[in-house]
Amino acid sequence: MFLEQGKISNFQLSTLIIGFVFGASVILSPGEGAGHDAWIAVALGLMEGLLIAWIFTALAKQFKNKTIVEINSLVYGKILGKCVSVFFIWYLFHLGALVLNNYARFLKLELYTATPITVILIFIMLVCASTVGRGIEVLARCSLILVTLTILMAFMDTFLIIPHMDFNNLMPILDVPIGKLLWTSHGVAIFPFGDTVAFLMVLAFINKPEKGRSAVFSGLIIAGFVLIMVVARNAAVLGQMVVTYSYPSYITAQVIDIGDVLTRVEVLVAINLITMGFFKISVVFYGTALGLAQVFNLRSYRPIILPVGILMVILALTNVGSTVEMFDFANRGYPIYTVPFQIGIPLITLFVAKIRKLPQTGGDKV
Amino acid sequence: MKRGQRFRIYVVILLIIIPAFETGCWDSHELNKLSIVSGLGWDIDTDTGEVTLTFQSIIPSEIKSASGSSGNGGQKGGNPLHTIQLDSSTGSSPYDALNRYTQHGSRSTFYQHAQVYVFGKEGAQQGIYPFLDSISRNPINRPNILMIVAEKKAGDILGIQDGMENIQAMGMAAEIKLSAEYTKYPAVTFLEFANRLMSKTTAPIVPMVGIFEDIGPEGEKIRKTRITGTAVFKGDRMIGKLNERESRGLLWIINKIKKGYVIIPEANLEIVQAKSKILPELEGDKIKITIEIDEESNLLQYSGYQDITSNILQELEKVQAKEIESQVMAAVEKSFSLNADVFGFGDAVHRKYKKEWQDLKPRWNEVYPCIEIEVKVKTHINEIGDVNKALIKK
Repeated sequence: MFLEQGKISNFQLSTLIIGFVFGASVILSPGEGAGHDAWIAVALGLMEGLLIAWIFTALAKQFKNKTIVEINSLVYGKILGKCVSVFFIWYLFHLGALVLNNYARFLKLELYTATPITVILIFIMLVCASTVGRGIEVLARCSLILVTLTILMAFMDTFLIIPHMDFNNLMPILDVPIGKLLWTSHGVAIFPFGDTVAFLMVLAFINKPEKGRSAVFSGLIIAGFVLIMVVARNAAVLGQMVVTYSYPSYITAQVIDIGDVLTRVEVLVAINLITMGFFKISVVFYGTALGLAQVFNLRSYRPIILPVGILMVILALTNVGSTVEMFDFANRGYPIYTVPFQIGIPLITLFVAKIRKLPQTGGDKV
Repeated sequence: MKRGQRFRIYVVILLIIIPAFETGCWDSHELNKLSIVSGLGWDIDTDTGEVTLTFQSIIPSEIKSASGSSGNGGQKGGNPLHTIQLDSSTGSSPYDALNRYTQHGSRSTFYQHAQVYVFGKEGAQQGIYPFLDSISRNPINRPNILMIVAEKKAGDILGIQDGMENIQAMGMAAEIKLSAEYTKYPAVTFLEFANRLMSKTTAPIVPMVGIFEDIGPEGEKIRKTRITGTAVFKGDRMIGKLNERESRGLLWIINKIKKGYVIIPEANLEIVQAKSKILPELEGDKIKITIEIDEESNLLQYSGYQDITSNILQELEKVQAKEIESQVMAAVEKSFSLNADVFGFGDAVHRKYKKEWQDLKPRWNEVYPCIEIEVKVKTHINEIGDVNKALIKK
């Protein structure tokens, strides 16, 4: 039973993962809790993130060409499997709402101060809904172009800011207490790297499933290195102020000043956010819609795209009251809240599958 | 064919619809409804504690005519302030003052092109935290806006036409940048100020601008702005001032030397390249800081009436090193007497001794004036100019 006929190449999967990881993290600078050691936190977080990715890619390898919903039905049986799937779909849905919220808050604070948040959200949602309706292939091909552009822009920003960097700002290395550093790096591992667990809905559609893990890993590592560069750059430019700004990348881009001519390029960072956030929202949106369709045995996931989109916008509008709440949740609640979804469900499913010796040979049919 | 045509019609319809959304109806800023602020002044009345904000706004329609007649701008005889308009309003807090501005202003303020924040001296002595807090929360604040402390009132400084620029605030920003380029006074951006404030031990510095009167070509009085010193802050309060010589010493230590001249009795020298390092050393409870300065210069003028030999150059290098050292020591002594760590010695110690720093940081105020300073200056004279013989010999 395939609701999705498309196939994406492993390379497209890598770029899609890069776009997904950049998602909100271009704006919500990861590892901010570690101050100027944030780049160490990101590096440690990348390692933990790879561990998380190892678990869910192992699951995807075990069950080729199957999404997590189908895997759950196989492993736990029909009813329990669907319950677990609904939990996982809730995670995707909620993550989509959180990203939408980050997205809209940033745009509202920095760019569209007078525009109602609802209008911004509806427009983002329409774009994502139209992409998701066209299937995973379209999304993957978009990622190829937009991710390349974003990485180029990140490098260009970094290159232009070199005159304003002061590497003394990165010293002394390891200034934060080790406990805080580890907590921050766990936060980084969960967001943005661990969120790639959403790709359990996408990994079923790659054309070389046996090489799925290397595609996921290469995407994560490239994204991780760009993030380390961005975070270290922000700290080197902004110094101690890096911890006070809510959106350090944006402020860093404001500092760029090449001979009084090339200034005010910060909107490039906002463009990065708009394009990369689009991938993150689209992937989780796609996962939610496809997952629900599979849970309820629908013939197509397209009719439920708009309802899911509307609900996601409503959740985004109501679940976070203020930017303070958003940052509090991102720093304190989120790293714990997501552990069952990112590590728990894939790991337990993997164990149960091992114990039940699934999938049996020739048992590729549901 | 039919399908292609329909597609084309769709594209045309889309092209008409999309621009309607792109205008951003809610966030439109119309030039004819904005007062573009080029400089923002902040004063506090010491008696009443009331805040006065001064807005220097650009009059866009005047800019063109002013640049058209550039070259004789000074001799126009009319109002020299024709490109800018000053507005001020007073209130109990920054936003109260801004609120009252709407009682007499006709256009809403637009800060995206602000060049400078000017603080009156009394306001700076009372603490500028309310201003810093309200401005840094606001997304209109850009990190590289220059900070200035006025000798007297911020409002006075913003109303003086000076320099070659049409807009006074831009002229003043250029003045500060030029003095920083020639290593006279530091140019301090909002970001640098905030970073020094955040470090708790390092004292923020801001250049000070005063007014002096000059006599114009027709005997009339011309008022001009001039940089007069470096204001030293402790926290958000201004506590003292470095003079010209001390400011130069400060710049030597914090490695902000670009161009500029070193004047010694025998000769005038031009700095070509200079680097400095702060090297802290901790022995028990004693802190010793070595300041290493490496300087290269060219000879501009020599008043010795003799041919220059390498012996003379070596002698000049020594005298030059001594002069630099005395500038540095002047700054150090002033900073010790103010007990304000303007050089970031604390941060340098923190970088090298992060464990001991936890203990030192809370009592940095007591430790700081007891630091032992050693200055090591290495100078080198590269070029002596186009002539290698003295024109007159004695």
